[in-house]
Amino acid sequence: MLLNSVVIILREVLEAALLMSVFLASARFLHTRNRWAIAALAVGAIGAVSYGFLLEPVSDLFDGVGQEVCNAILQYGAFVSLAAVAFHIPGRANILKSASTSIITLMALTVTLAITREGAEILVYVSGFWDVSDFFSAVALGSVIGACIGFSVGVLIYYLLLAQPVRWALPTSVVLIHLIAAGMASQATRLLIQADWIQAGSPVWDTSGILSEQSLTGQLLYALVGYEASPSGIEVLAYLGSMLIVATAFFAGKFRSQPAMDE
Amino acid sequence: MRKAIRMMQFRRSMLAFLILLAAPSYAATPEFEIEIRNHLFLPDTLTIPAGVKVKLVIYNRDETPEEFESYELNREKVILGGRKAIVFVGPLAPGEYPFFGEFNPQTALGTILVVADANAAK
Repeated sequence: MLLNSVVIILREVLEAALLMSVFLASARFLHTRNRWAIAALAVGAIGAVSYGFLLEPVSDLFDGVGQEVCNAILQYGAFVSLAAVAFHIPGRANILKSASTSIITLMALTVTLAITREGAEILVYVSGFWDVSDFFSAVALGSVIGACIGFSVGVLIYYLLLAQPVRWALPTSVVLIHLIAAGMASQATRLLIQADWIQAGSPVWDTSGILSEQSLTGQLLYALVGYEASPSGIEVLAYLGSMLIVATAFFAGKFRSQPAMDE
Repeated sequence: MRKAIRMMQFRRSMLAFLILLAAPSYAATPEFEIEIRNHLFLPDTLTIPAGVKVKLVIYNRDETPEEFESYELNREKVILGGRKAIVFVGPLAPGEYPFFGEFNPQTALGTILVVADANAAK
């Protein structure tokens, strides 16, 4: 029971922790303040509690696939917000004053959306054991351990990003933002396939023999880049398409901020 | 003249192609039911046909929530206590696809057996 809780909570916390560490590191490189993170955590917590309580009516929406649709909306929302972050990064890197507030708001929004989705699931899991006093202490302890491991991984990634040579710092963040965004969009697409809103064909490949999604590396890659051992064609398309969208946003931002550099 | 005939043939084959494309959506999606009781899946082995999309209706008869999860099927869904959930799977190639209840992974274990012979999947 203890170990289950560690794994479940770790999986949920990991995605948000990785996202936050990449953002916090990027914010350092861009010399913006990091107070947005606390606001995002707080609003995300409120969102998670609300969504957790509303999960029953939400699940019944759209003939029983409301949960998938709602999670997909949160994921696509986070993706769009992440693409907007990519758009504002070049401006901020060239010290465009206006980009600073937008980038902070967008980072906070992305993190809030991620925490709402993942936090609600944690809440549903933990509350399921609320009345079972035999198990509850084990579940509570396991959850705390899982959250701490997830948090530690986030801190580790944050310092690894900060430890890089300065000229690599921003490009690394931008690449990571592309990968995280693509992972989010393909996960959201998978949810709509599960809900039967999007038609999927058979998987295009199966790499579960090489790298299982259940392995530690698989889990970490799932959280970071949306690793999927046997994706369908439409998921691959969503992955590549979303990456292209983020790249377009980034280069459009770069193009826009160019005149500011000449002045 | 020959051109007109060719055009007609082309149009006909396009029409046939479109009908073929649309045909699967008219066929009813087969439905299968699974129950969760005392953190166990009943039945724990479900046989479904290969190559078609299938609708799984999962009833959680326990008071506690459960998460239906399968890495092989690429599915995960939280089912609150005393509720039912709908999960679409497939089209799948023949084979064994294990699933489990993430909240009780020691006991809540099951397998979806995908078979090519449609008659065996009943």
